[in-house]
Amino acid sequence: MNRFIDAVAALSRLCGVIAAALIASAIVVVCQMVVMRYFLVASTVWQTEYVIFALVGATLIGSPYVLLLKGHVNVDLLPMFLPHGARVVLALFACLGGLAFSLVLGWTGYELFHEALVNGWRTETVWALPLWIPYLALPIGVGLLVLQYVADIIALLTGRDMPFAMEKHSAFEGE
Amino acid sequence: MEPLTIGILIGIATIVILATGIPVAFGLGLVAIAFLAIFEGTGSLGFVAETFYSGLAEFTLVSIPMFIVMGAAVASSPAGKDLYEALDRWLNRVPGGLVISNLGACSIFAALSGSSPATCAAIGKMGIPEMRQRGFPDGLATGSIAAGGTLGILIPPSITMIVYGIATETSIGRLFLAGLLPGLLLTVLFMIWALYTAHRHGYSLTDMARQVTWGERLRILPRVLPFLAIIVGILYVLYGGVATPSEAAGVGAMFCLVLVAVIYRMWKPRHMWNIISDSMRESVMILMIIGASALFSYTLSYLFVTQSVAEAIAVLEVNRWVLMGIINVFLLVAGFFLPPVAVILMTTPILLPIITQAGFDPYWFAVILTINMEIGLITPPVGLNLYVINGIVPDVKLTTILMGALPFMLCMVLAIVILCLFPGIATWLPEVLMGPG
Repeated sequence: MNRFIDAVAALSRLCGVIAAALIASAIVVVCQMVVMRYFLVASTVWQTEYVIFALVGATLIGSPYVLLLKGHVNVDLLPMFLPHGARVVLALFACLGGLAFSLVLGWTGYELFHEALVNGWRTETVWALPLWIPYLALPIGVGLLVLQYVADIIALLTGRDMPFAMEKHSAFEGE
Repeated sequence: MEPLTIGILIGIATIVILATGIPVAFGLGLVAIAFLAIFEGTGSLGFVAETFYSGLAEFTLVSIPMFIVMGAAVASSPAGKDLYEALDRWLNRVPGGLVISNLGACSIFAALSGSSPATCAAIGKMGIPEMRQRGFPDGLATGSIAAGGTLGILIPPSITMIVYGIATETSIGRLFLAGLLPGLLLTVLFMIWALYTAHRHGYSLTDMARQVTWGERLRILPRVLPFLAIIVGILYVLYGGVATPSEAAGVGAMFCLVLVAVIYRMWKPRHMWNIISDSMRESVMILMIIGASALFSYTLSYLFVTQSVAEAIAVLEVNRWVLMGIINVFLLVAGFFLPPVAVILMTTPILLPIITQAGFDPYWFAVILTINMEIGLITPPVGLNLYVINGIVPDVKLTTILMGALPFMLCMVLAIVILCLFPGIATWLPEVLMGPG
């Protein structure tokens, strides 16, 4: 079980690196586009689409990594006041809810990617990028999100992780 | 079932689901697909991925990660410290110079970083110990920075305003301009209160000033002015209609990266990587909420909730200011629990038609909404700024920080009242510079 959790964590970290690289590339491309458009007065073909797709891709692919770091903002008021046992139960509910959403998003995302691939959809610009490429971020990112949630649930059940990453007896801050 | 009843059920379900501590993005998405599946059958779920994806695939949204990179670059460098130093050196003759320069540094840093917690952290790390050392009460020292940090989401460029612009399809350039004078108004109100408190506690404000030579004043400028030039440049480019917010933000991000590399010698790949990966985490978090909100508002309008709520309120024919009062209380409470971005994305699809129907200006409302969100940042239970400051000075009790921040909260309420009386403070500048909206 530990091996599974570690493997998923490693994959999520890899996704984090890819997502950060996509954002870095988007900054460079935006600047290149600005130079082309305003200083060289040339028309730009692929830059706008690339930047959009890179950032949506970064978001989807970066999502499991951010989940691994517990970096998705949440409202942790109720868990803060609960005793440890109830916290675990609540954390499980939260994880199952997140898992359910990820499953639906991941599955419909895979279908979207598959349709784009089979039907040869392309973007309606001069660049005419095959749409399955940007859509690939859906099955990859959300698929790994599902795995990360499963790993989180196992870690919770086996007591490897504290619920909501809170200390066992953490008092409400300020007390 | 009546759309209005469904709307109430969705409201309750959202509160219950988010209370479990599920990430806001996934909670919103879960409520959206659950209601779609229950009321329209599982067949209606086919559009989930497409709605989510197209909610994110917009060029305007590109500005969000870009501004985050810009803020992260500045926040990871000692720029906050220098900004603070610079203002302290230049304003040392002004009575109460230290408080003034702290709040001034907050507003400038806020403009650069667009993030409230980052502003608190950057200015607070320097400012709070300095103020305490020079004898200011703990409550004032911490409270003023907590409040000053909230300016980050009002003073342009502001990520909160970008999100509002996207959610309501209003001009981001106009929104930025609308936030400028109210941001300055708030800064001045904060300063007045800070000076008054310091004075009341018997601190002779001029005695605390230290001697600064002109050499010291001039020496720090090269490290500060380039960053100020970037803010001015971005605003100029936006209002000159030269480029889109996303282009301005992208170039701004690149400039800030280059500046911290040159000025602070943070050119090593490791430095750059830390900035980019910090920004990635924050922008993934925000953009996931945006994608899920696209799904959420799709569900609301698919089930006719949005339209019915607006109609139901129009039928009530309440006084528009009573309506505005109720909306303010609602936003304030929502802001106590939820991050600004989530509040804006969840509520504006429903609120905007109501607001415009009642004859309020959507740009003016953006400012009111943002100030409400600012209050949420310095109130428990999720007042992020309070915890940031608690982290900087762990020996000051959270209650002291909270009590110190309370008067500044009242300043914000006062600012809302002033803006209701004189809406021109928000609407005048955009009209002069960009023509009638």
